[in-house]
Order: sequence, then structure tokens, then C-alpha cells
Amino acid sequence: MNWLMPVSLAAVLGAGIAIAQQAPEADKSVSLSKVERKNKAPVSKELIKVRLPRPVEAKLDNGLTVLIIENHKLPYISMQLLIDGAGPISEPAAQIGLASATASLLTQGTATRTSLQIAEQTDRFGAGLQAASSFGGNGAIIAASGLSETVDKWFPLFVDVLLHPSFPEKELKSYQQRTLVNLKRQRSSPDFLASERYNRAVYGKFPAANVSASPEFLQALTPAMLAAWHDERYVPQNAVLGIAGDVNPAQMIEMLKKSLAPWKRTSVEAKLPPSAVAVARKQVYLVNRPEAVQTNIMIGNIAIDRRNPDYIALRVANQVLGDGPASRLFVKLREEKGYTYGANSSFHALQFAGPWTASSDVRTEVTEGSMTEFFNEFNRLRTEKAPDAELEDARRTIIAKFALSLESPEQVLDAAIQIKRYNLPADYWDTYAAKIAAITADDVLRVAKKYINPDNAQIVVVGDATKIKSIMEKYGPVTLYDTEGKELVN
Amino acid sequence: MLRFLLAALFAFSLTLSAAGPLNIPFKEYKLDNGLRVILSEDHTAPSYSIAVTYDVGSRDEKSGRTGFAHLFEHMMYQGSANIGKGEHFSLVFTNGGTMNGTTSQDRTNYFETLPSNQLDLGLFLESDRMRSLVVNQANLDNQRKAVQEEMRLRDDNQPYGKTLDADIGTAYNSFAYKHPIIGSMEDLNAATVEDVAAFFKRYYAPNNAVLTLVGDFKSDEALARIKKYFGDIPAQPAPPKPDISEPEQKAERRTAIEDKFAQVPRLDVVYKIPPGDTKDFYAIDVLTDVLAGGTSSRIYQNLVKEKQLSVQAGGFSYEHRGPSLALFIAYLRPGSDPKETEKVIQEEIERIKAGGITDDELEKIRMQNKLGNVRQLQSTGSRAIQLGQFAVYYHDPGLINSQIEKTLSVTKEDVQRVAKKYLVDANRTVVLTMPKAQGTK
Repeated sequence: MNWLMPVSLAAVLGAGIAIAQQAPEADKSVSLSKVERKNKAPVSKELIKVRLPRPVEAKLDNGLTVLIIENHKLPYISMQLLIDGAGPISEPAAQIGLASATASLLTQGTATRTSLQIAEQTDRFGAGLQAASSFGGNGAIIAASGLSETVDKWFPLFVDVLLHPSFPEKELKSYQQRTLVNLKRQRSSPDFLASERYNRAVYGKFPAANVSASPEFLQALTPAMLAAWHDERYVPQNAVLGIAGDVNPAQMIEMLKKSLAPWKRTSVEAKLPPSAVAVARKQVYLVNRPEAVQTNIMIGNIAIDRRNPDYIALRVANQVLGDGPASRLFVKLREEKGYTYGANSSFHALQFAGPWTASSDVRTEVTEGSMTEFFNEFNRLRTEKAPDAELEDARRTIIAKFALSLESPEQVLDAAIQIKRYNLPADYWDTYAAKIAAITADDVLRVAKKYINPDNAQIVVVGDATKIKSIMEKYGPVTLYDTEGKELVN
Repeated sequence: MLRFLLAALFAFSLTLSAAGPLNIPFKEYKLDNGLRVILSEDHTAPSYSIAVTYDVGSRDEKSGRTGFAHLFEHMMYQGSANIGKGEHFSLVFTNGGTMNGTTSQDRTNYFETLPSNQLDLGLFLESDRMRSLVVNQANLDNQRKAVQEEMRLRDDNQPYGKTLDADIGTAYNSFAYKHPIIGSMEDLNAATVEDVAAFFKRYYAPNNAVLTLVGDFKSDEALARIKKYFGDIPAQPAPPKPDISEPEQKAERRTAIEDKFAQVPRLDVVYKIPPGDTKDFYAIDVLTDVLAGGTSSRIYQNLVKEKQLSVQAGGFSYEHRGPSLALFIAYLRPGSDPKETEKVIQEEIERIKAGGITDDELEKIRMQNKLGNVRQLQSTGSRAIQLGQFAVYYHDPGLINSQIEKTLSVTKEDVQRVAKKYLVDANRTVVLTMPKAQGTK
């Protein structure tokens, strides 16, 4: 495939080195200066109508939930099996990396196929097949997608890696070696160093604190450990299988009943440890990266889980603060000050409480100015009512973005999976636009006060300590780390 | 045999749709001022995408004035007669849309996806800046700063940020393709408002652009609005064609660079190949896939799985309207000798020259290309970009439907022939990126 066709598998996998990241195309193109509004462009103020196709839903005898979105626009089918309780959040504290290793090795050999045969057959049948279990999550995902004309050839591969992985010794060795190199290599990435330190800071003892495997445990892994984790955790009653695209739902369900009959229900539940709570005391963590020309900044603290009633109001508050180029952080740090290429905020609300986070990569010389602007914006959001026009824009953006997401059957499916996963009302998305539209300036002020708290913010910076340490000390006691993750004595 | 067995297990077909050849419908028009227009309706979701593809890229730049094409990608958001500075971005975003612009050697494109009730907005935004972009000293200074920040972020703070520049800088003779798209700090600093204004007038003219709409609209209504918004933008004299002639390479070229953020060495093996949309290019595209496209490819299996000399390896053909490149890239296992990795890549290439590829391999690549093509056609944005690009590159937007057929028609003999013809020693460039020990820890 040539460059005009992005290497979709590589991009999806993410585990390897995304060669596509080296793309020479210089993308993104935004103003560094303050937005000047002439208001002459024709804009329709009408809120776009959103109709979400309902999935066909089935529950198999073994407890597996199946959701199917039928769409025949292209001869293509994508499937995603999400198994709760098979992810790193559930792994024992002494076995950091077990869940991700198990998932990664599913496609590396089964009772009847070698890793090469799986790769070759997947390619030959016009399909892609990946399994992954990401740090910070409680699930493992097996994803398969491919041409509908060959689904009867590639679907059995999906079933095979789910039910009969063999975890070959040789493949494990190769995985260990590659992963150890990756663990070392990712220490050259400031983004990685920042997120590693930040997750430890906000999550504390909660297992989402880990963002990568323990090298010591990785070396001690055996095929038996992987097989045991697979046997115990890859169970149908904790799983949702989503299918989108060029399928006939009735036929597909019949086929699933037959091919997944050997997958037996057990009594294992996908339980979570108690959620983390916001850290009470403000702390500063500095990862020293000598010669770095930029400082990577992450600021935040634990906020809410996905079922929290404040989710909708916080969604709007975050839109105002730092979601996208019309947001306050972006406008201030990038457009007005020219400190950075981008600045944003987000919040992570899953089955457990995750953090709100503001972040930016700024030039080393403007580290101090950037910190000042971040805290100014947090305080402004907490103390001043958002103007009507800004709030109206934020609400319209969220609703229109939601409407646009319906272009992709996978995203429609993802919305349906979220309802299952977070146990939301069945009409959740039908009323979503109305709920967003009802959020007021008082709501935004209330949730900002409640969650976006500068007094206990956890602050992580990655940069050249000789240039930024004294600045960071103004924000609290600084704990210093090297790029290996070792704490340094001041 | 295996395929037969699997087919027998699933006696019924799971699909109801008639999965014939793809047919993305589109219509072509040309306005009096030379603007080419492509419309492709699709009513599945309440959205549409607009793309404007300008026939200008870094290959059109002159020595001492590099980085202009990409600088424009930034200038285009600085405001026009009826759109304030940065307002474009704000309008698209507050209406739930997405947008971007990208610059390559061969073209510059701008695109937005918006709700279907905002058709006028997208057309207005693109027409206003084509007609009346504000080019002044303040905007130039500001955007120069933005680009230099982008350089810093991309190249000076990330591992392997300079490797691809070294690849093209070494492999090409032709200035058009040799210099980095982003340009040099010095050239950007030397740019004057007059230079930039002249560049805009010459290249950002309706007769040098293609406007593409894909999505939820009615073509006749859309065309009427396009005429309203774009029809009175004056045409300009046709820009000069860049010199893209590339002399035949007579000897292998080698470069080594140091990278202070890299943790493992990276080896790039590069060959010069014919332009895109040629018979040989399609054959080389299949060849690079057999060799290094994905984890079942020959080089990946040998280097990463068998010999474990590298931790990752891949390869692809890098399509240009002019002389193109085939690249093979390996990230080495620490401690392994780059010569060993290079030898394996070389051996795999020689094996194809001597013995060709198998039927199974060709079938696999065909299926993967069909799959890649379908995935590429999923979003309206990607379809709009592709239609515009094919129109500008090859004057043939129909390639959106027919390009896959050209790839599928490549034979085993074609693949062996192009391996022998292009993947030869004298046509090779080897770039080694070595980690540079940091001064302090």
C-alpha cells in the first residue's frame, strides 16, 4: 500500500513503532494570534437533528452481550470484543504487565495456527486482527475487521485467538525482548515521561497509576501465567461483542451461537478496586530532561466516573476550558501568548473515577508564563459565570460533534457499547443533545468549583531542571526525577 | 486447501449485499474562472466535507525561498476580507466541524467536515480566503513564529525527527524534491511580504485549484451556491511548472546522522522509483508490501521474528507526481550491528529478483489493498481529499474507483521485473540514525 493509503493497522496497533508518524506532511494550521470575529460568515443557528440508529441486541446463552449496527454503505465489517476484568486494573500488584502481555500474545499462536499463519491468513483474507489491553483500563479488546466478502474466512481466526491461544514459549521470548526495548525507548519521549509521572501522582494506589509494564516482572513471565490469566479472565459473561457494517444481523447471531458455543460461562465477576479520590495536597513533580527545549506540563486531579450526574455539566465546562481551539486554554496560551503549539484540557471518566487534566508542551523560556496562565484560567472558570455567547457556542459544538460522529458505523456502535458498559439508560443518546442544551452558566460554575481545584492540583513537568526548577518551586515542594523514573535527591 | 476447509465450515454467506466493484459516484464541473469542481453525494449522515486542493507544494519552491508552501498553510487562517484572524478555525469548531490543511511536495489542501445545515459556511470560508487573503507584515511575522515552533516540536524535540529529511536530502538530486517541506529557519526569516503576496497571487488562483464536496447535499443546489461564492474570483496566468527532472543515480549513497533523542539506531534503505500512477509504480507498491508491508511480510518475519536483529521493520512506496521513493525502515535491537540488518534487507530483495513472489503472496497483497482501499473510503473527508488529489495530480478523479483495479492487475512477473530494474545497488540510499549520548543524565 502506498503512502496515500495510511497504514491503518499500524496506526490502530500503536504497540509498534508507527512509521506513519514520520509522515512528512506538515499538518495543522492555526493562528497564533487572538481570534478576531467579523461575524460575516453565514451560520445556521438551527441545532442539527440527531437520530441514532438502534443496534440489534442479543444475549447468548453463555452470557455474552451482542450489539449489531447494520450498514451496507461499504463491503466492510468491523467487530470489537470488549472483555471487562481482563485488563491491567484487575491484575495483581506484583504482576504489572500480565494483562497486556496476555492480550498481545493472543494473536501469536493457537492450538492449530502459528503466529505467522495467523498473520498470513488474516492478510490473505482481507482482514485485520488485533488484541490489546491498555494500561489504565479494565478491559481487553480483540478487534477484527475486514471485507464482507471474506468474513466467513476471517471470522474463524477471531474465534481461534479468543478461545485457543497457545502462548508459545518462543513468541513470549520475542515479546519480552521487544517490549523491554520499547520500555527503554519510550523513555526518550517527553509525552511518555509526563504521563507516567502524572498517572502515579493522581491515581496513587489505584492501579490506573501504572502506564507500562514492570521490566522485572516482564522478564519473569511464563506461558503458564498467561494461560492462567486467559482462562480466568476471558469469560463471556463479562464481555460485549459489537459488530458494525455490511452484515445481516439475524444470520450473524445464528453464526455466533454456533461458533461461540464452546466459550463457557464462569462465576468470575469484573470487579474494580475502590476508585481513587482527589489528592488533598498540591504537589509538583519535575522529570529532568537535560537539553530539552520544551517543558511538557500536565496539571490535574481525580474528578468523576462516567455515571456521575455531573458528567454532562463537566463536559460543557471542559469544552469552555480546554476542549479544542475555541477554548480558553488554547486561545490564551497559543493565540494570545504564542507559548505553544497547543494547550488543552480533558477529563477521563470511566467505570472508575479518573482525573481532569490540563496540558501543554511549551517552550522552556515561557514555562513560568504558561503556569501563570493555566492557573488564571482555572480560577476564572471557578469564579466567573461563562458569558452566554461562549456557553452557547460550547453547547452547539458538543451537539454538532455528536451529530458528525454518526458518519462512522463504528462510532454509532461505540455509543451503544458505552450504554452497556456504563449501565446508562437505553435512551441516553436520544436525550443527550437536550441534556447538553440545558446546561447553564451556574451549572458550569458549580462543577468547576467542585472539581477544577487549583489548591490541590497535581503538577507534573518534564523539562530541563536547570532552567525550570526554581520556577516550579513557586507552586509547591518539588520532587525531582530522572528520565529512568528514579527519584533524585535535591 | 486451507481456504477450502474454512469455507466448508461456513456453508452460508453472511452478507446480503452485492459486493461488486466500488463505485463512488461523482460529477465534474468547471467554472468560467477555471475552478474545477467535483461533487459526490452521500446521504447516510447529516454531514458533508469540503476540500480545496491547490496545485502547489514544496516542489514549486525556489532555492533560498523554501518553506513557502507550508507557510501558506498557516497564513490561510490569518483572515480575509470577511473572516477575521483565526475566525475560520473558531467558526468550524463551534459548529462541530473538523478542519485541517496539509502540505506535501506535490500539493496543498484545505478541508473541513461540517453538519449538512452549514453548507454555506464551508463554501463561504473557502471562497473568501481564495479571493481576499490578508497578507501583511504582522501576519507573516506571527506565522513565521508558529512554523518555527512547529519545527522545534517536530524535529528538535522528538526522536528520528530529522531522519526522513536526511533520506530525501540524500536520495534526490532535484531541488524540487530534495529539500524539506517545512523549509529552513534561514529561508523563513528571509521571506518578505512581497514574496509571500506574489506566491499567493500566482498559486492560490481558482484556475490552480480543485474544489470537492462529498456528503449530504443536492448537487444542483450546491453547484449554484459554488457559482455564487467562487464564480467572481479572477483567474491568474498559469503558474510555471517546476523542474522535477532527476538524473539517473550512478552509485549508492550513504549518510549517517546522530539523534540525541533516539534510543535505538534506525536504518533506512531507500530507492528512487518512477512517479505515481505509472505501471511500474503500482508494481513497486506491491513489491514493497511483499517485502515489508505488515507483520507477515518477508523482511519483518526475517528481521524481527527470526533473526531478531530489529525490534520493528516496515516499508512502503512514497508516492509523488514526480520521481518517487521506496523506503524500508528498521529500528535496531540495541547492540545489533546495522550491517547485519542491512544484509537481511538486501538478501530479501535479492531473493525476489532471483525467485519472484508466490501466488499466495500476491493474493494476500491484493486482499490487503482491497481492504485498505475500503477503509480509506469510509469518511466523506477522506473521499473529498482523495478526489481532489487525484484531480490535481493526474487530472483523473476517477482514480478513486479505478486505482485499486490498477493495483490488482499487477502480476508476479511485474513485481520481479521492477525489483530487478529499480532495487539495484546504484539506485540505493542508506541512512543510519544513531543515538547520540546525552551530555548529562
